[in-house]
Amino acid sequence: MPALRLPAFYESFLYLVLHWIVLATSWNLLSGYSGYFSFGHGAFYGAGVYTTAVLAGKMDVPFAWTLPAAALLPALLGVALGAIVFRVRNVRGELFALLTLAVTFVLATIVLNTPIDGGPGVYLSAVAVPSLAPTASGSFYLMALALAVVTLAIAYAVTKMRLGVGLFAIHDDEDAAEVMGVPTYRYKLVAFGLSCGLAGLAGGIQALFVSYVTSNGTFNITVPLTVVLMSVLGGTRHWAGPAIGATVITILLYASTAADQAVAGKAVVGAILVGAVLFMPDGILGLAVARLRRMRAAASSIAQAPPAYATRLPATAAPRARTGEPLVVVRGLRKSFRGVRALDGVDLDVREGEILGVLGPNGSGKSTLINVVSGHYRADAGSIVFAGRELLHLRAHRIARAGIARTYQIPRPFAHMTVRDNVALTAMFGGEALDPGEARAQAGEWLAFTDLAARADALPGDLNLHQTKFLELARALASRPRLVLLDEVLSGLTPGEIDEAVELIRRIRARGTTIVLVEHVMRVVTALSDRIVVLDQGRVLAEGLADDVMSRREVAIAYLGTVHA
Amino acid sequence: MKKHTSVWHRLGLAVAVTFFAVPVALAQGAQPPIRIGSTLALTGPLASTSLVHKVVGEIYVEQLNKRGGLLGRQVEWIVKDDQSKPDLARTLYEQLVTSDKVDLLMGPYATGAILSAMGVAQRFNKVLVHHTFGIPSLAKYEMQFPAWSLGADPANTVPNTVLDALGALPKPPKTIAVVTSKFPSVHFMSLGAREVAKKRGLTEVLFLEWDFGNLDYGPIAARVKDARPDFVWVGAIGLEGTQLLEAMSKIDYAPPLHFYMYPAPGPMSKSPLAKNALSMTVFEEHPPFTNAAGAAEFISLYHVRAANARIPDTSVEVQAAASYTAWQILEAGVRGARSLDDKAIGAWIKANRIDTIQGRLRFDGPSNYGDDLMRVKQVQNGRWVTVWPKEYAAPGATLQVP
Repeated sequence: MPALRLPAFYESFLYLVLHWIVLATSWNLLSGYSGYFSFGHGAFYGAGVYTTAVLAGKMDVPFAWTLPAAALLPALLGVALGAIVFRVRNVRGELFALLTLAVTFVLATIVLNTPIDGGPGVYLSAVAVPSLAPTASGSFYLMALALAVVTLAIAYAVTKMRLGVGLFAIHDDEDAAEVMGVPTYRYKLVAFGLSCGLAGLAGGIQALFVSYVTSNGTFNITVPLTVVLMSVLGGTRHWAGPAIGATVITILLYASTAADQAVAGKAVVGAILVGAVLFMPDGILGLAVARLRRMRAAASSIAQAPPAYATRLPATAAPRARTGEPLVVVRGLRKSFRGVRALDGVDLDVREGEILGVLGPNGSGKSTLINVVSGHYRADAGSIVFAGRELLHLRAHRIARAGIARTYQIPRPFAHMTVRDNVALTAMFGGEALDPGEARAQAGEWLAFTDLAARADALPGDLNLHQTKFLELARALASRPRLVLLDEVLSGLTPGEIDEAVELIRRIRARGTTIVLVEHVMRVVTALSDRIVVLDQGRVLAEGLADDVMSRREVAIAYLGTVHA
Repeated sequence: MKKHTSVWHRLGLAVAVTFFAVPVALAQGAQPPIRIGSTLALTGPLASTSLVHKVVGEIYVEQLNKRGGLLGRQVEWIVKDDQSKPDLARTLYEQLVTSDKVDLLMGPYATGAILSAMGVAQRFNKVLVHHTFGIPSLAKYEMQFPAWSLGADPANTVPNTVLDALGALPKPPKTIAVVTSKFPSVHFMSLGAREVAKKRGLTEVLFLEWDFGNLDYGPIAARVKDARPDFVWVGAIGLEGTQLLEAMSKIDYAPPLHFYMYPAPGPMSKSPLAKNALSMTVFEEHPPFTNAAGAAEFISLYHVRAANARIPDTSVEVQAAASYTAWQILEAGVRGARSLDDKAIGAWIKANRIDTIQGRLRFDGPSNYGDDLMRVKQVQNGRWVTVWPKEYAAPGATLQVP
């Protein structure tokens, strides 16, 4: 642009567009990707504004030297805040939004009531603008362009990395993501730090652009509201969505600056945005991507042959040896919920290569056992040793990486990720820890194994229950676990579908994977299991071979109540 | 024969007039208008006050064109909405200069936008006359000219004017409470008031600050009541002063002598709690201000146009007067320089005194500021009247005390 020697106004206008692209895209790194809506972006942007304003305006530090600090300080603030709030399970959704909004007001109060500002604002007219172009406007444009390119490159790269996949999974179901191996806490911190750092950098440049910085003008609700609107309009699940939204909104707002149409123009812009959000809730790119995906899904379902059900194991999935040695040793496992003992001193072993059926009446602790072993819940006491390693104090994602996968009784696929991406995620974050490209390739094989290849590009919401259950299985298998915990994977299926599932489980076991099968369908448990454990009121009631266990009196009582015959 | 000759004379005269006048008229008509560009915060949080400047600008340009325009050309005002955003103001001023290529600039409203516009004017060597810029020390550009005559050092001169007025009372105040918003253009004046009061021997019994945007004035009111000052300096802007008065009223307290920096004029003058409240002004709708040339006509036009624009308070006071003054300065500069050349205009303004509805202004002081013409006004019988200095007092008005 500077080389074209266009009027300075074009450079300044493009600066504004790029400025908002950076702010919206940086906001989206955490809030769009992971769903942690932050209303505190103005705080971190403002921290950058004031870092540069104070260093350059009050301490005479050269402007360029202030920019690393303008990025670093907000990034550290974000990480420090995240390190606290991301540990609190309940601070999600609107609570997180409100908390970050509160941070804006806290920072504004600190800035206004300390020598950082103190009231009069900070004036930067004496600060020299770096001579990157023949004009000051050209220099600002080039700085914003460089920052926008870097920001968009980061946003793009993140979507192609484990980080992005993990963040998208957090968006859909954070607890399930953690259990599937996503280090949710670390990923949120990294995303928050990046988001805040980039916003701070944009703030640092903006401080010099406006040249007069006041607390009231900096720390206000306009910045977060605008970036949210921009990102939602463009599409939060695409790296380029916020950039498109920022460009559209900045142009629309600029187009309505003629005085005669100022109010009407803003009303029209508002109406356009309301309409766009109403009719394109996933944003411009969300709509485009959905159409593309539907076309791909239709094409792949036409191209795929009718199911050759579970014909082969993926080439990479070499069978494991069945040693019969204890793979999992559980001792004295306890878990209570508000005084109700769901697990009350459970002792059991799971041997390598076996299928262990876990039975018990409703409320006996079966699902809690799965949840505790997989790390979904933290045990109150006891011990879980897996392949010689104590799991009790490990976070769920570390348990997944150790080689334990699970399915959920009520399937919990990541709703906005395609079937293929759902499976690829566990290949990325499970025991194999494949890189994203390999994971996607291997996901295809597991989808073929579970007869879902034709639905690879569909969203989970487009699958029927049978397919969704098989997706759960495919996800569990793709992590190449040593132990799979199947939590009522057959519930809700028709007899024919159950037979197919039984066959599939047999094939899974055939490759040496150890299986813990929690199930209500007795015929399946007895047909599949090598051994059975019966739980009742959080304790092991019986353990042994299926016929043995089921014939015991205490088991019959637990299931049927008082035995009269 | 005589009659015949007369007819020929008249005909000849008519031809001659036509011969010379038509081309001149055509030439005048062919000349494009002088274009003056500015932005105003027509939307966003500053819109209500900016609307005053829009109405005033429209009135002035209309009057100017009726008088034949400038340099024989009509004047066109191009005004854009900066949406109360300083960064957008900067970009729009660049658009006005580099793309719209306006001949002259007029300032926007509010400190942040004015500083943004000032930076653009400085880069492109344009004269910038601005309306109500509140912090003179920040105005560094040599071709910026303030229309609001608050002097180069208002933090010193304005409190002195107020305390001069109070000092002339039979029982001058001995103690002062300074409570202030941290709004930049108010805050530095309040800090100045503390220093001035100290120098003049008043005892400061309370100093309190609040963040701009504060809504809870109860604790502040209670602290003021407890301090029992003779005089309360309230560094308030907009509705803050009225809100503080309401909070004071709830605890059955009425300050004896009370001053408000920049109150929203309408709400304060109409509030029964604001009886005898003091403030500053550069213009009110009474003599001697209304004796200035053009003032009466402007007031009359403004009442109508402001009502049509649904501005709640249609009286001409600081904002409207400063806005009108800005246009008077620009017009005087162009006429004086007989040119649209910014350097020539700037040099002329700096070297001359300009008659405005605020009075005769000069621009040869620090940061091009001249005299502090701020006067003390007071709410009396539901309206603002100037009470100090006595020569500017409304007819029959004197400073009232409880």
